[in-house]
Amino acid sequence: MITFNCTIQEGMIPPELRPRLAAELARICASVLGEPPDDVSVDWTEIPHGFGFRGGKLSTTSAVRGRIPPGCPQETRVRLMQEIQDTWMALTGCTTDELVVSARDRRPE
Amino acid sequence: MPHYRCIIPQDSVSFEQRQQIALAFTDIHCGSTGAPRSFVSVTFIETPPGAASEFASPYYLDGANRAGRSEEVKQQLLSDLTGAFCQIANVPPDDIAGRITENPASWTMEGGFVLPEPGQEGPEWYAAAAASAAD
Repeated sequence: MITFNCTIQEGMIPPELRPRLAAELARICASVLGEPPDDVSVDWTEIPHGFGFRGGKLSTTSAVRGRIPPGCPQETRVRLMQEIQDTWMALTGCTTDELVVSARDRRPE
Repeated sequence: MPHYRCIIPQDSVSFEQRQQIALAFTDIHCGSTGAPRSFVSVTFIETPPGAASEFASPYYLDGANRAGRSEEVKQQLLSDLTGAFCQIANVPPDDIAGRITENPASWTMEGGFVLPEPGQEGPEWYAAAAASAAD
């Protein structure tokens, strides 16, 4: 199972766009890691306005934090993060400065 | 990265205090590590009254940083951050606890680049980070 937590700032990512973004995350995992899309789960955390800051200022940044199977080669990990970044930016219109993507090793069960 | 999550009781920290804390955390983190200011994220998560909490103290600072700094630097950072929080939010020191967890820098892409390991940031990376933040 691959899990993503997407932490977004209130008002930045319309609710109707979120299923499409989740579907794209599953598609990218299938394409890059070979994981079945059904084994990818995505949850959302929306930070209320005035509760998220970056560089000391109100934040507009989304953080897409993934947990992937351990042992992924770095080259594959980078390709995964890059594809997520490119797709997220294309769909949401955000800039590179408004997105953090991580692909961490899943903790042993 | 870094990302600092402040777990706080509902309605206990005003917007002005949150703003001051976020600024103080940015100053402290960047003063200690030399990281670009635009990379420091601070989020406040409120716990509703009566809600079960996984934390032993009413206030909790949950930090996530790049791996590779000494234990001394990490402890000093945590001490400075919790101290600033208590001062700004008028919270007794006994009411806050915290931790800083770490992950390899190479597991995160930020500002369009895979993060370098601490101490491996070259001038090109700082320039790219500054340009990205200015977009």
